[in-house]
Amino acid sequence: MIAATSGPEAAPPVAGFVESAFNPLVHQAVERCLRARPGDGSRTAMVLASTMGDAATLDLGSRRLVAGQVHNPLLFMQSTANAILGQLSRDFAITGPLLCLSTVADLAGELLATAELLLDDEELDRVVLVGVELAGTERTTAAYRNLRSPGPPATDQAVALVVDRNDPHPRPPSDAPATEHGTLRGLVELAARIQGTSP
Amino acid sequence: MTHEVLLTGFGVRTAFGTGADALREGVFDGSPAFTPITRFDPGPYRTNLAAASGTAVPLRDVLAEVAGAAAGMAGLHPGTEATVLVGTAGDFTALTDFWRAAASGDGAAPDPLDRAVETVPAWQAEALGEVLGVRGPRLAFTNACVASASAIAHGCQLIASGRAGIVICTGAYLVEEENLAKFGSGFALSRDGMVRPFCADRSGLLLGDGAAAVVLESAESARRRGARALGAVTGWGAASDAHHIARPHPDGTGLVTAARRALRRAGGPRIDYVNAHGTATKSNDPAETRGLHALFGADAPHVPVSSTKSTTGHLLEASGVVELVITLLALRDGVLPPTAGFTEPDPACDLDYVPNRPHKADIRRALSINAAFGGANTALILERA
Repeated sequence: MIAATSGPEAAPPVAGFVESAFNPLVHQAVERCLRARPGDGSRTAMVLASTMGDAATLDLGSRRLVAGQVHNPLLFMQSTANAILGQLSRDFAITGPLLCLSTVADLAGELLATAELLLDDEELDRVVLVGVELAGTERTTAAYRNLRSPGPPATDQAVALVVDRNDPHPRPPSDAPATEHGTLRGLVELAARIQGTSP
Repeated sequence: MTHEVLLTGFGVRTAFGTGADALREGVFDGSPAFTPITRFDPGPYRTNLAAASGTAVPLRDVLAEVAGAAAGMAGLHPGTEATVLVGTAGDFTALTDFWRAAASGDGAAPDPLDRAVETVPAWQAEALGEVLGVRGPRLAFTNACVASASAIAHGCQLIASGRAGIVICTGAYLVEEENLAKFGSGFALSRDGMVRPFCADRSGLLLGDGAAAVVLESAESARRRGARALGAVTGWGAASDAHHIARPHPDGTGLVTAARRALRRAGGPRIDYVNAHGTATKSNDPAETRGLHALFGADAPHVPVSSTKSTTGHLLEASGVVELVITLLALRDGVLPPTAGFTEPDPACDLDYVPNRPHKADIRRALSINAAFGGANTALILERA
């Protein structure tokens, strides 16, 4: 298994993606993993999980709408997390399934369970997992108040893992204490375990 | 061991109304549901038409309605162990209301702030599980126009592998301003007030209200509960194009891969009907046609293909589950829903698109396909019970 994190420092921009840190963070974390461990893209799936998704893009588009401003077509293109997974699939010739999930639970458990399910398919050998969450916005802060969730990370952050069929089956950290990583805490801890560092 | 996946209940709501008969009278009659939008002022946007009737209602209520109907049909009771999977991007009307309230600075309007949580896809899944009273995991799929189809594929795999006995898969989208603005900015909306998939004069899509739910269940669970199978999901697959963030691969390569995966799982190439993604956009329809040619080879001209978005509009995250219910009705009634508004075919689109009028047909096995931004594709195979 291999893992990489991105954030809190700014990730390099990705052509065609604007305004939000969400997509550059995802791209950087996944790219770090896939450059370190290339593989057969035709036997690779990608799964992205985020409780709130790209709140920066969503909120910016909505605020522009409310203000009566013309919508930016680039925000339309990146309005779903599919777009950055599509960019990565093109960059790394990945033709397996692409999934985007939202859960109120710690993202690590859901991502690992989904990877296990996908690897039931003998046509797949590995799954790229990425958890991403932006720091709270005015709207998401209001939303978190009514969610049973660990909450947002203190800073924008993405964590990627590549789970290979032949890897020992990873387990999500149990009873991870609340940290500044919010919903990403389990992934951050798992990544640190894989990298041999402390979270 | 692989467990058989049965469909034991469904609920559906579109602009035609609630339930199967509303679909029969609209979709299967080939009557488009597009009317002027009245739930908000469409003045600033590129079209004033959508398949949307009445005032805005919370997405959570519509999800509860269709999932409740599906659970009732399947005979599920509160307390049942069931996984809840929802294809949704959250409630966009709540999003607009939140920022309108914030912009107005009206502290006397707390409701939009309280409803901020309804913009969160995961909350919609949690809330639906609570309303249904079922016990089990809850998860939202947010991958745009393949979201509910992905939820169904995921649910099928949970059941087939023995990880779950019952999965309630649902999805919902209700026409609102945010996506009307976005699709307008992308020049994706129809200019002539009709959705004409596969036609030479097609000019884009129109949005539509849609929500549906299906109860998927292992054969063992259905037998134990005495539930009646309405159909069986025998194949499912997903794949990506690795081509572009928004446009499909011109040869429909991801779609072909997804469908081949589904066919391999279903065990055999025969397909009697295809419910296509058929968005009536310039890039989708020829790509889908080329993909179906690659999939069926010499048999392609003999496989009827229709796009029911020509009547329902594009249902975004709900597309997969609503179109699976339409496909189920086609199998059960022996009627192929037409591609409405069909004029002259695009020369690049040369299949049997069931133009304008429904056909009677004895079909046993059908394929429902969807595609989305990022080049994500799904394929589901449904068989008559």
